[in-house]
Amino acid sequence: MIVAVLLACSAGILIGISRQINGRLSLSTSPLIASFWNHVVGFAFLTVLGLALGGLLPEGVGQVPWYDYLGGPIGVVFVAAGSWVIARIGAVNTALMMIGGQMVSSVLLDLALSVPTALLPTGLGVALVLAGIALSQGKRRS
Amino acid sequence: MTATSPLENPRPLVFFAAFSAGGLLTLMVHFNGELARYGNPLFSSWTAHGTGTIAAIVFLGLLYRRGRVMTEGRPPAPLWAYLGGLSGAATVMLSSTAVNSPLALAGTLSLGLSGQAIFSLAADHWGLFGLPKRRLTARNLVALALIIAGSALIILEGRNPA
Repeated sequence: MIVAVLLACSAGILIGISRQINGRLSLSTSPLIASFWNHVVGFAFLTVLGLALGGLLPEGVGQVPWYDYLGGPIGVVFVAAGSWVIARIGAVNTALMMIGGQMVSSVLLDLALSVPTALLPTGLGVALVLAGIALSQGKRRS
Repeated sequence: MTATSPLENPRPLVFFAAFSAGGLLTLMVHFNGELARYGNPLFSSWTAHGTGTIAAIVFLGLLYRRGRVMTEGRPPAPLWAYLGGLSGAATVMLSSTAVNSPLALAGTLSLGLSGQAIFSLAADHWGLFGLPKRRLTARNLVALALIIAGSALIILEGRNPA
């Protein structure tokens, strides 16, 4: 269990590291070029890993509807946006706003897809997230 | 503390862009989750990076045709700055392992968000990986705590309707 906790925390730290590194690259190139290199390098790494482990082309791939492949192009815009934003408002503000945006939109998506949701804790959670965002918008320069 | 960062864009616009990017992340996680459901997490991440590479080339091509790509006169990036993709790809491996532990999806997500938040504090404080240092304020800390608490509530309690 301790190993799993460390893995889950490390996954979050790695997200922060890649955002930081891509942000640095975008200072020398551009956010979209940084996003391009992020995807090329990740693809090369995962290709090597997949060839070693197997499972790159599982059965059932034929039934995947076309729109489920949109995650890749959306990811390009996401990484470019992250690199653009982090160079302007810093890592804390970027993490704060992206986590907030992710939580609020995932609640909306769950409601749209009729995923069973406990309304009271969810509403309270959204309120806390929005309060955090409002607080971060204060006039003082950070 | 913001002397070295470009300030031509008003801050509220940049904050709004970051918030919207969080919405994009939700869509991305949804679609990539569907890919993993048909196949497996490695297939999902590999495919998303592949289609992403193609999309990035198309986007860059469109910008070049409009003459909108200008990178001359900027200091060159160190080699390691090209390796952010390794970190992103490794994230998939760690999180898909954690999801299959007793932590499940909810635990993995909330711990991941906490790890991300704590790292961002260190990143700004020390200016990690070549980005400018930023002084942390009490306002930063309280805002981050509110957002992590709210996210934990949504993830851990909201998905378990009584």
